Amino acid sequence: MDQEFSLTSQLRDRRLVITTSGYVNNTGGQAIATEFDRHFAQGVREVIINLAGSKVVNSVGMSFLLEILEKLQDAGGAMVFTNLDPAVDKMLTIMGIFSIAGKAATVDDAIKKLS
Amino acid sequence: MNSPVVLKIELPNVPDIELVAVEGLGRLARHLGIPEEKIGEARILVTEAIINAFEHAGGGSASPVVVEFTMTPSDLVIFVRDFGKGFDPSSVENPQLAEKLKGGGKRGWGLKLMESMSDDFRIDSAPDGTRITIRKMLR
Repeated sequence: MDQEFSLTSQLRDRRLVITTSGYVNNTGGQAIATEFDRHFAQGVREVIINLAGSKVVNSVGMSFLLEILEKLQDAGGAMVFTNLDPAVDKMLTIMGIFSIAGKAATVDDAIKKLS
Repeated sequence: MNSPVVLKIELPNVPDIELVAVEGLGRLARHLGIPEEKIGEARILVTEAIINAFEHAGGGSASPVVVEFTMTPSDLVIFVRDFGKGFDPSSVENPQLAEKLKGGGKRGWGLKLMESMSDDFRIDSAPDGTRITIRKMLR
């Protein structure tokens, strides 16, 4: 399986959708955080992380998402995860992330959740 | 088909080398007819164990990590060994999200994840290295 990390992002009604593909390690996590920071500086406060193409992640990569969550919490923002592999879902559950972030089946569902 | 298959590999310390082990895990599972979705949590366990091992291996490509999988259709044993100077597992704090969000380091989840996602987890650390043994049921 190809695990080379890449991401795409788009804005949908001032909501940032980051879609990843491949292994979310420290490099992938940093790339997500950098993309977030670019939009956060411009006032974006709602973020959807679409992990549909990332079946392998590690806790170091996920730790970058905690940095994003910290900034969003301080700014009154919100984050929703979508298209989670069941194992990644369990990992984030163990970390307690869903106590401060949302979860949805698809990006469209996430947008409805944030509306 | 019930006899275990074993894969033993020595990984050099190069970026993302844990993916070699993850790929090997997938091939063993396919050989035994284990569905992809059954090994999702095992992928995370393997990844976390290897990352943890390299963190304690002392650094450099001269500090390899040995990984061994023993898999049957019903369970998987993951053994990961490094040759670092060891550490005291009891000194590792149980990470709490609220604390992590207060600033400072966000890392330190590996041991908690391995313990929580496995059916049995054992860590033995000594001055000649650390050995992690994880059992994961696949049914």
